Amino acid sequence: MAEAIQKKLKAEVEKYTQMQKDVSKSMSARQKLETQLTENNIVKEELDLLGSTNTVYKLIGPVLVKQDLDEAKATVTKRLEYINGEIQRYETVLKDMEKKSEQHREVLSSLQQEFQRAQGLAVGKV
Amino acid sequence: MAEKGKMNIGHLGGVARLREENEKVVKDCESRIQHWQKVSGDYEALNERLKTLPDQLSYDIMVPFGPLAFMPGKLVHTNEVTALLGDNWFAKCSAKQAQKVVDHRMKYVKHELDDLSKTMKNFEARVGLAKDLETISSSKGDYVDIREDTGNDDAAVTKGKQRIARKPHSMPKMDAVLDLKEENGGGSGDGGSRNGTLTEEELWARLDELEKLEELQDEQDRLSDNADVNGEDTSSVSSEEEKEGDAAPPVNGLSLKPSWTSRPHSEAPPSADRKAGEDDEEEQEEGSCLPTIFFSHTIEPKKVRINTGKNTMFKFSERKEQKEHSKKKKKNGHNNGHSHHELHKITTPVDIYRLFVDVKNGEPVPRKSILKSRSRENSVCSDTSESSAADFDERRVIGRSFSHDEATHSDTSDDSPTGVPLHPASRFEAFSGTVVEKEPMPSAVPHLTIAPPALPTILERKQEEVAPDVVPPQQAPKRVSKFKAARLQQV
Repeated sequence: MAEAIQKKLKAEVEKYTQMQKDVSKSMSARQKLETQLTENNIVKEELDLLGSTNTVYKLIGPVLVKQDLDEAKATVTKRLEYINGEIQRYETVLKDMEKKSEQHREVLSSLQQEFQRAQGLAVGKV
Repeated sequence: MAEKGKMNIGHLGGVARLREENEKVVKDCESRIQHWQKVSGDYEALNERLKTLPDQLSYDIMVPFGPLAFMPGKLVHTNEVTALLGDNWFAKCSAKQAQKVVDHRMKYVKHELDDLSKTMKNFEARVGLAKDLETISSSKGDYVDIREDTGNDDAAVTKGKQRIARKPHSMPKMDAVLDLKEENGGGSGDGGSRNGTLTEEELWARLDELEKLEELQDEQDRLSDNADVNGEDTSSVSSEEEKEGDAAPPVNGLSLKPSWTSRPHSEAPPSADRKAGEDDEEEQEEGSCLPTIFFSHTIEPKKVRINTGKNTMFKFSERKEQKEHSKKKKKNGHNNGHSHHELHKITTPVDIYRLFVDVKNGEPVPRKSILKSRSRENSVCSDTSESSAADFDERRVIGRSFSHDEATHSDTSDDSPTGVPLHPASRFEAFSGTVVEKEPMPSAVPHLTIAPPALPTILERKQEEVAPDVVPPQQAPKRVSKFKAARLQQV
């Protein structure tokens, strides 16, 4: 009885740790996105500072590729949109994960109680 | 003490951990601020360099050549800078534009620094609080923690709740008990047992109250008998006759004044009275002593009602209260009938008019006659169909009870609503001539019995309020009486 519960408990704990890893992963991804968002915001503002006489380059691999200023602005805004969408997606994913982890925690606590009870019973029987 | 010590330790541990966490945050903030300050310094240097760079056309510099070597070179295009905007975006711009970009970056850095310093201050304050808490809780003597055990409180709370719950329950129970008494009367043993079991003390208290009431009633009855019978009957009879002759013919509204329509019947058929009163005639004999024939008829029906009511009361609702209180009444059924009958006179608007007559001999006479006619009507109605008459009486009693007696007699008010619905149906019945004596009576009886005690206090009011009371049965007479009353008052 106790062993079965222990097995269950172990499986559950593994699942829970996996879940925690996922949560932390998506959390870090979200943070990265956040930094990118701020960076791109700065880029956009600074592009606005430049005039038509300035030439804009994009570093692609080892080379600087010349880009049109308007084009650059458009791509930056698009990039910003994309980042915002990603952030929102991660937000929902994180909420979902939190709910799941909460459930896991409850299951874990109940399992732990069961396990302890089973152990106590076993001890009593012994 | 041991528990306290443990608690303190746990508390201290929590506080210490809180302080540690806060300190961590503060340290993190500090490091970040340092980082941003360094960045800001770099930008300042860059800004300085950008300012001075375009001063000369070319610079002799040592150009880094790989990680290890430098070689001499010349820096040309001094006003031409390629700036990394971020996210691998580069822009070729002049030194001035580069400076703008740098300023923009500086703003951002400054903003970050401000935020960080704010959060740091915040957490420093928290650290101070945690430290204070630590010192306070660790240092014994100066400060004492106020702690309450929650375990005992639960029981107390539940006790309080139970008490609160009991009151609402008990209150309706009491009412129900009273109702049960009235409804079930003495007949149903179950009701009696319940009453006894549920609220014996209250029952007894109630019984005592009722006894007192009865005593009061008896006294009043005696008094009223002496006063009313002597003065009112003769005057009322004469006035009633006059009024009947005047008022009855013009008023034809069947719907409005069933009593009027019923009058002729009552006048014509004393037989109806006899029918109704056959059971009670024995009791009525006392009332029938009056000199005028009309009077006897009119009065008899009243008595009949009353008697029937009492009879029904005794028969149907021999309640514990009444049993004890009305022992005298039971023994002296006739006497009761008398007293009630006279009381009725007093209670009914007619009685009030009689009082008027006594008080004001000259002018109020017409009024009296009208009112008396009503009373007659009522009495007549009672004669033809006791139920209808009883209903009218009930009405009056009810109105009074509502207006004056509500506070004093809750029972009357309770009973009256039950009696009210009966009125319309009973009226029709009255017209049809069928007599349903006993059903309406029980409802009427309580009013009758209970109403008298309130009378003495009410009498003065009644004189003033006679008009409103009278209004419902006859609208036309009211108006006349009102005007006259207004004139009288003005004069």
